[in-house]
Amino acid sequence: GVSGTSVEKNITLDSAAGIELSCRLDNKYSHLKSLQVTWKRGNETIRHINKTENSWSIQLWILDNSKLGSYSCTLKGEEEISAVFLLQGKEKPIISYEGDTAVMICKSFGYTPIAWTWYMTNGSEQIAINDSLLADKYVINRISASVTHLKILKLTKEDDGVYWCEAAFELGKSKGKLQLKVLSLMVPLKPFLAIVAEVVILVTIVFLYEIYSKKKEKRA
Amino acid sequence: MPGSPLTPCVPPNSWTPGSPQTPGSPRPPGCPRHPPGGWGVLGGAFLQAALVSGGVRAMGLCLRPLGGAFGARAGAVAWVGSAPLAALQLGGPLGSALSTRFGARPVAMIGGVLSGLGLFLGAFATHLTHLYLSVGLLAGLGWALVFTPSLGTVGRYFPTRRSLATGLVVSGASVSGLALGPLIPLLLDTYGWRGALLLLAAITFNLVAAGALLRPLPIPNESPGPPQDQPGLVGLLRHGPFLRYALAFVLVDVGYYVPFVHGAARAHEVGCDQRRVALVMAAMAGVDGGGRVVAGWLAARPATPLLRHLFVWVALTGLTALVLPLGTSFEGLLTLALTYGFCAGALVPLQFAGVAEVVGTGRLIHAIGLMQMFESFGSLLGAPFAGWLRDVTGNYTVSFLAAGAFLLAGSLLILTLPGFFQGKEGSPAPPPDDPEPPPDPPPAPPRAALDPAV
Repeated sequence: GVSGTSVEKNITLDSAAGIELSCRLDNKYSHLKSLQVTWKRGNETIRHINKTENSWSIQLWILDNSKLGSYSCTLKGEEEISAVFLLQGKEKPIISYEGDTAVMICKSFGYTPIAWTWYMTNGSEQIAINDSLLADKYVINRISASVTHLKILKLTKEDDGVYWCEAAFELGKSKGKLQLKVLSLMVPLKPFLAIVAEVVILVTIVFLYEIYSKKKEKRA
Repeated sequence: MPGSPLTPCVPPNSWTPGSPQTPGSPRPPGCPRHPPGGWGVLGGAFLQAALVSGGVRAMGLCLRPLGGAFGARAGAVAWVGSAPLAALQLGGPLGSALSTRFGARPVAMIGGVLSGLGLFLGAFATHLTHLYLSVGLLAGLGWALVFTPSLGTVGRYFPTRRSLATGLVVSGASVSGLALGPLIPLLLDTYGWRGALLLLAAITFNLVAAGALLRPLPIPNESPGPPQDQPGLVGLLRHGPFLRYALAFVLVDVGYYVPFVHGAARAHEVGCDQRRVALVMAAMAGVDGGGRVVAGWLAARPATPLLRHLFVWVALTGLTALVLPLGTSFEGLLTLALTYGFCAGALVPLQFAGVAEVVGTGRLIHAIGLMQMFESFGSLLGAPFAGWLRDVTGNYTVSFLAAGAFLLAGSLLILTLPGFFQGKEGSPAPPPDDPEPPPDPPPAPPRAALDPAV
């Protein structure tokens, strides 16, 4: 990049993986000597940088979501240029049923937020959730400094959709996305009844076969 | 009349009191190889092993979403997983007593209904306590009512090839264990935990069909009339060899589950990523199934000293557990895990077949139930104890050493059983099968009373 501007890239992983992040310097800057490139996660410097002529990369094993977050490579020359990689997990939707209570959890790794805010999406807008206003519908609990729970009571179909938890830090904000699916009980009921019907049929077959084979023995 | 399938063909070795026939002696001509309905019993018992073991394991796999939904701590939710296992084992004697009184088939079918009902009610739980009662107590009780009658019936239907039959049956548990890996996450992702429990309930209702296959055996002298369960159970409690056998398996159970429960964490500890961890655990489960069938087959040949086979497998399992801490690379851990899985699986059918060797077929169902109840103390203590050792020492080395030590201690107890060191003339023939077990067990090893005066 050019002096002053930052580059950011979002990467979404849907399962544990090994990943390599690399920063490459454009050819037009290769005349700059004595370049120092540092890879960091937050304030922590990462060693084990693989370096080639004009690229610097790190290898990460993302085994669980404690390794997700922001990784940055910073170029210190005359100016300081950095690029940020944001690693996110692909969230699975939370499934709940009408009339049930859903609990959505957001955790912050590495940094302690000053405050948490929850949003729900209405069309394309994000509306903050005020749990004191709608206390019999929403309950927001801050379980610990870095964990927040949003409890939604008496679910209806309208509660289905995307929710956001936003963590506010000194220097900025970070958002996490959660999806809630509200199903009606009819959905699992159909396969349930199908399997129960199968059981009844199976039991009937067993007894009928036994009666049949006993009759065969008697005749013989 | 000979030749008619209706003739009560008395299979050798267990049905007529006082008959000193040995396994492998020729069948009366015209007799079917096994009593009619034998294949059905095998199928039903296999299904039962798959569903009961599967059901218990499934609860363990559902714990995380359950915890999230109720906002409970991991410790509180863990009880939803261990309560059904506890109920299954502690309820063993109840299953035996009821099935002796009323017959294996009705009791097993009712057990199927109860366990399905327990899971069904659990799907509607609004509080963690509801789950303890429905999934833990009701379903666990239902499973107990299915488990012992099924295994007991298999033992009685296949007196000559008991270990092979038992091995085939208990391999059902491995099959369901492997299937659950992908199935449970799929159910949870599609239907949430409530829907998943609902569908698991429906699947569990298949136990009713499994129970229906346990055709009652037409035994000439046996009548289920007066409740014999009390004398049976009490007699067992005074039966020295049985008590030692049960104690051996209490010790075995303390160590047995440790690698299965803590294996994944140990694999993480030595640096395996999630995919490799899953591979190690799945391999262990698959090999477990193989071990069950192979050991059952090996021990089913006529005139094999079953107790000696059992001793060897238990000892091997213990030794493997002792060296498990040496597996610090993925390949090393995988090899040791495969060995452990195979040996651990191998001892399962022999444990149940061995009961008949010690107490005879008449009291088989009671003995299995009572043994299960004793074992529950071992199995409930084992994994948490290993976890505590890990917390205290910092890694799993001591935990696995302790597990191996308990397994070896159990194997040593097996050495003390009568008939272990005795020769093979007339090979281990179980004591006579009276409908009324003698009030006092014979003081000398039962086999002495049976020595063919030939």
